[in-house]
Amino acid sequence: MKAIFFPGCLIPIKYPQMERAIRSTLPRLGIEIVDLPGLSCCPDPIFFKATDPLDWLTLAARNLSLAEEAGLDIFTVCSGCTATLSEASHLLREDEALRERVNRRLARIGRRYAGHVAVRHIVTWIRERVGLDRLRESVVRPLDGVTVALHYGCHLLKPSKIMRVDDPDDPQILGELVSATGASVVRHAERFLCCGKGCVDAELPETMTHAVLASIAATGADCMGVVCPTCFSSFDTGQLVIARKRGERLEVPPVYYFQLLGLAQGMSPEELGLHRHRVPPRSLLAKIGAATR
Amino acid sequence: MADETPTRTPAGRGPAITVDPVRRRRVLGALGGNHVRFCYQCGACVGDCPSARFHPGFNPREIMLLALLGALDRLIAPDGIIWRCSNCYTCYERCPQDVRPVDVILALKSLACEDGTAPAEVVEVAESIRRTGRSAPVLASLAAKRAQLGLPPLPPVDVAEIAVLLAPEKAADAPTHPPREEGA
Repeated sequence: MKAIFFPGCLIPIKYPQMERAIRSTLPRLGIEIVDLPGLSCCPDPIFFKATDPLDWLTLAARNLSLAEEAGLDIFTVCSGCTATLSEASHLLREDEALRERVNRRLARIGRRYAGHVAVRHIVTWIRERVGLDRLRESVVRPLDGVTVALHYGCHLLKPSKIMRVDDPDDPQILGELVSATGASVVRHAERFLCCGKGCVDAELPETMTHAVLASIAATGADCMGVVCPTCFSSFDTGQLVIARKRGERLEVPPVYYFQLLGLAQGMSPEELGLHRHRVPPRSLLAKIGAATR
Repeated sequence: MADETPTRTPAGRGPAITVDPVRRRRVLGALGGNHVRFCYQCGACVGDCPSARFHPGFNPREIMLLALLGALDRLIAPDGIIWRCSNCYTCYERCPQDVRPVDVILALKSLACEDGTAPAEVVEVAESIRRTGRSAPVLASLAAKRAQLGLPPLPPVDVAEIAVLLAPEKAADAPTHPPREEGA
């Protein structure tokens, strides 16, 4: 399959190691990555959307119109981008009056969006279009014995009638993708909790992040698996903040799914930037004999 | 009228609330529909709400009630309770009336932004996107970091185009039935 790579902001700017993992692992699944010039922030589905919903929809429509002009669908690698572009694509397809209003804005820059672009987080297309067999075949170093606790995050799955990925109360998709690498999935009590990043409050984000991390720490899993850079930052940098403020070292290393897949496909921890993480996945790397410095 | 954030006290037994039909229409206008009125206060939105679980002052059912009554002051005041919403969309999943409380809260946040009471971090992210087309700042060290990983340079964003798109709408552009009311 061939689709437009929507990198978003956080991954290319803050976590380029995740972009490395995407660009290295997807071609081995037969996915052709198309880079499209001119894409902006999706834009942000929480703060920017709150400041002006029509501005939010207009910038999303501009990104969608660039893809439409190229005649290709979009794959995302961040749950926030998935939320914005999926909802925008849904609204602009279903609501003709709204689409016309946004198109009057787009006409200012000589663009138009007709409503034909599909947007999916790449994990969804790996299950739907690539298939788990092909994913398993790409593995050269199975992550045998490695245990992964999953954090689905919110915007991959919800709202389910727009996202249409999985049952948000009993999702299977990430478990299937992790199992294909040879690792096993460990259930934990707070697997449905939000990371808390969207709350503006002195306590709430940290409280939610802590609850998820403590729930995973109790399972003894080697790492936590995430598919969103915003969740990742909550659990990576956020874990240091928790250690400093509460004096509690949870030692739950968050790992982006495509870094796990990269390891299973034989990439080195350094290539995947795992040594840059604030909480490096030491026991994971030790188990597969790829310990980093 | 008491000027405090909503508590778990049922509104009927809490401080008196002044029903304000003009402000109520402002919320409905911001939402672009009347589906909010189908909220029958069942509380299905509360049970799995992570903010309600961890913050005693946050209750999506009470936020819905106050919005329906047009009692916006407590909601959109500086440091208002609406900003504690995590945007997780669980209430959207649970609501049997398809009221979408998270979207109501987002509409209330937009009203707070119009009133200039949005938190600084919200304004900062929005300004970054308006000014640079990106939500995160690009540091000078990034180019080398990307090159070291064998990644192509960060592609430029046409910021002039974004500025044109985000300029306020002229009256002539506005449709007869706007999806949300514009500020005067």
